[in-house]
Amino acid sequence: MTNLFLPLLIFGPLLAGCLVVLVPQRVRFLKEALVLAVTAADLVLCLRLFPEEMTLFYPWGAYGIDFSLRLYRFSAFILAAAGGFAFLIALYSCVFMFAKEKGRLFFALFLFSLSLVNGAVLSDNLIVLLFFWEGLLLTVFGLIAIGGKTAFKTAVKALVIVGVADLCMMIGIALVGHLSGTFAISKIQLSLGGLGSLAFVLMMIGAISKAGSMPFHTWIPDASIDAPLPFMAFLPAALEKLLGIYLLARICLDLFKLVPESGLSMALMIIGSVTILLAVMMALIQKNYKRLLSYHAISQVGYMILGIGTAVPIGIVGGLFHMINHAMYKSCLFLTSGAVERQSGTTDLERLGGLAGKMPVTFLCFFIAAAAISGVPPFNGFFSKELIYDGALERGLVFYLAAILGSFLTAASFLKLGHAAYLGPKSEATQKAKEAPVIMLIPMIVIAAGCVYFGLQRSFPIGQLVQPAIENHLEGQDFSSLLPNKKLVAVTAIMLLMALVNHILGAKMKGSGLKAVDYIHDAPVLSGLYEKAERRCFDPYEWGRVFMKGFSYLLWRLDRGIDWVYNAGLPGCARALSNTLSRWHSGSYVTYLGWSLGGLLVLVIFLLSTRSF
Amino acid sequence: MLSLMILIPLACLLLISFLPLKGKRVAFAVVMALAFFQIYAVFSPSIMANRHLPGLASVFNFTLAVDSLSRIMLLCIGIVIFIALLAAGPFVKEEDKRFYFSGLMILELMGLNGVVMVRDIFSMYVFWEVAAAASFVLIALEKKRDPLEGAFKYLIFSSVATVFVLSAIAIILLISGSTSFTDIRVALLVTPHSNLIILAVGVFLAGLFMKAGVMPFHGYLPDAYASAPAPVSILLAGVVTKTLGVYTAMRIVIDIFGFSTALKSILLCIGLISAIFGALAAMGQKDLKRLLAYSSISQVGYIFLGFGCGTPLGIAAAIFHIFNHTVFKSLLFVNAAAVEDRLGTLDMGRMSGLASRMPITGTTSVLASLSLSGVPPLAGFWSKLFIILALWQSGLYGVAVTAVLTSLLTLAYMLLLQRRVFFGTPEKNMAGVVEAGFNLTLPAVILAILIAGVGLFFPYVVHTVIFPVVSF
Repeated sequence: MTNLFLPLLIFGPLLAGCLVVLVPQRVRFLKEALVLAVTAADLVLCLRLFPEEMTLFYPWGAYGIDFSLRLYRFSAFILAAAGGFAFLIALYSCVFMFAKEKGRLFFALFLFSLSLVNGAVLSDNLIVLLFFWEGLLLTVFGLIAIGGKTAFKTAVKALVIVGVADLCMMIGIALVGHLSGTFAISKIQLSLGGLGSLAFVLMMIGAISKAGSMPFHTWIPDASIDAPLPFMAFLPAALEKLLGIYLLARICLDLFKLVPESGLSMALMIIGSVTILLAVMMALIQKNYKRLLSYHAISQVGYMILGIGTAVPIGIVGGLFHMINHAMYKSCLFLTSGAVERQSGTTDLERLGGLAGKMPVTFLCFFIAAAAISGVPPFNGFFSKELIYDGALERGLVFYLAAILGSFLTAASFLKLGHAAYLGPKSEATQKAKEAPVIMLIPMIVIAAGCVYFGLQRSFPIGQLVQPAIENHLEGQDFSSLLPNKKLVAVTAIMLLMALVNHILGAKMKGSGLKAVDYIHDAPVLSGLYEKAERRCFDPYEWGRVFMKGFSYLLWRLDRGIDWVYNAGLPGCARALSNTLSRWHSGSYVTYLGWSLGGLLVLVIFLLSTRSF
Repeated sequence: MLSLMILIPLACLLLISFLPLKGKRVAFAVVMALAFFQIYAVFSPSIMANRHLPGLASVFNFTLAVDSLSRIMLLCIGIVIFIALLAAGPFVKEEDKRFYFSGLMILELMGLNGVVMVRDIFSMYVFWEVAAAASFVLIALEKKRDPLEGAFKYLIFSSVATVFVLSAIAIILLISGSTSFTDIRVALLVTPHSNLIILAVGVFLAGLFMKAGVMPFHGYLPDAYASAPAPVSILLAGVVTKTLGVYTAMRIVIDIFGFSTALKSILLCIGLISAIFGALAAMGQKDLKRLLAYSSISQVGYIFLGFGCGTPLGIAAAIFHIFNHTVFKSLLFVNAAAVEDRLGTLDMGRMSGLASRMPITGTTSVLASLSLSGVPPLAGFWSKLFIILALWQSGLYGVAVTAVLTSLLTLAYMLLLQRRVFFGTPEKNMAGVVEAGFNLTLPAVILAILIAGVGLFFPYVVHTVIFPVVSF
């Protein structure tokens, strides 16, 4: 009977979401209570099921499409993490979204998203997975669209970008099904090469785009401005990362066997490194709290992809550990930005400053999370990054250098962010700011505490969460109590110190924390590139739009052409023929008789020539 | 008892001619009664029975016979005479003219009935001429310039056709020594490749094509249709050309010549030319009745296409299309009559938005147009579908596709007509126009009901009326 809990995880939030829609807008607290109860129940259930392994199988459609769910250590881990974030962010949203106009819709979509994420994680059939996966696209669209005025455009952008990637994944799934003859994930075991590689790449595109990697990232910074903030903390920062990296790991480890020597592993590492560097470069120059964070959400995905792409056990463990760490500190950071936005009314860094004294708890949470993302020991981000560095170094110095440079820039940009928002003189906006409500603080504190705990007691997350999930691929190694490589730690420490020195010097030179890294922004070649990037010249979505405009113009011309044929060409011909015929019908007896006699002649000659009638 | 179909009209003609002056008033009623009798007779087995009246054999020595094909033609004749008579009200006003008109209608009815029923080639010619002569006079009923010119053209061309047919009959008579269909058939089979016979067949067919008004033998037809008084146009378009030309051709080919490859290709070729160019010519017309005349040519082309297949399905389709054409073309001519009656003109450039002024005329004309264009589920759709199926079945794929495409042209010119005449908002000069009188709306409604009824009850109609044609 217990395996009926699995569908409950999917249908519970779904039904609750429907109920939330039914709650009248006037009735307060009821929908909040409902959301909290459901997410809490979801979390409890996930934790209760955590050590179990179970499957559920219903024959569904033909062609091997069966409704089959599978709970095992990996999916249980993702489920528990998702449940935890859902509960904490729901708690946060109860205050943040309270009495907001679209609150009801937000909570409904929130629960739908949770249901879909649970479904996607649990499903053991690629088609079922695809169903939940694509469903998430709709809730993302809805959650962005309920934001501000320009939100709809951004929502469409997200829908198009993720939709294209999902289409790739759909084709990839079809290919996988064709190659392996089954859609059951736990039975598929394909080798790379030929069509297999194509299928791998297509499915990988689906996975990394859900995680928000480049080049499928451009909707995230826009959404950070437009969408309701809890959405950012919930989906792009936490659940979508979990889901995307989960699938990437499943593809690389279970469906296909990615080996270090393969070109695809190299491709993944290149994507990872490029994502790290480009996104963090963009993050560095942002002047908005949320936008800056959103670029880091992209940049950090690069580390995970790099880690998994190394295809060596240490890298994979590092990547997955980084996934959970990132979900924690990034959602915490987004939550602090929400608190700042709520209390001071803005997230524009030029109008913020000196909040540390006004909002000490928020600042503390920010400090911990920022340290964690920058890889400062002893927080969790440090350890996962060290594992990834190790893996990257094993595969090539250049990847290690990219990763460590990324760390430097990450640290620099968070120094800038912290300095600009929390230190320095108070601004007009922050003058009257007060500490955020306790209910909003609780999630931040819990997550920040988690960051500390995962850092100090890393043997628990690595040993109990990450390693059991991929125990078949560890080759018997155990990284839970492995001490980081001393040389690498030294390099990291030097990098972090350099970042600090750089910031202090920069701030002194320019006179404010916000402008501490402007020299990078204004560097000769970079300034031009930055300017173009800010104008979205490098946004594939914009390229696509330009292309589509041209293409649709072409189609329009073609359509006009066809239209012309029907509206003017053919009727013109008909009219010309008709006029000619009218001219011939002059009313003259002689002409008409001539035709008749001509007809008679032709008739008789024809009959005589065939010698029969 | 078949001779009743000829003798009763003859008796009625004599009766009204010798009645004193006040008989003129009842003349109309007599024709009406004849039309009803005709429709009744078609469905009455005892009249349709192939039996001679006792004692008549010595005086009245025609070989008469009916089969399903002839019965459908008789029905068409009855319906159209009835409709034309109803519609004559506003156009034939003077007492005298009414009298002549009635007499000529009876003569026409008798001639057409004779052509449909006789089974010997010379009697056929006689009735043919009776009907043609009645038609000339009917066209010229109004002694104005245009009707006279139309009548004269019709007369000239009819004479040429007569010359053709008569010479063909003479040659055939020379060879076979008999005029009955069966005898000729046997005689022709003996020497099928004689040049003389082939010449006779060609000339005969040319004469019939002239009567049917198919291209390129059609020159006189638009003038005759357009210049005739409204009721006569209905009569000409509805049954006269169809009986004298199309039906006779079918009868001669089926009963005497038989379908040979050469004949089939002639029929198909003529049909295709008429269907396409008739439709194209119709598109350019400014005069409502001329447009309908060219549309008639095009539709006769369709009939020949079906007939030219030579298969049972093709023949059934052709006769079905004759019936449908009779109904919808009569309806359109009735509509034209209604418009002419109210506006005093047939120039489509001077019409606009009449549907709002003349709702019954507008609605029924839309129905007729759709049936003519072959839009399901109206009657015209089924017969056109059968024609195209028959062509396809005979392996004439190209012709079938062309026929389908040509029906687009048909739709185009009928929509042009509707848009110019009935659709849209009426302009100022249409202000005083009101719906036509009872005697023009009643036939319109009856015919519209027929169109919809035959279309909707198509399975019944096709099994009881159309398919029996095939089993001759």
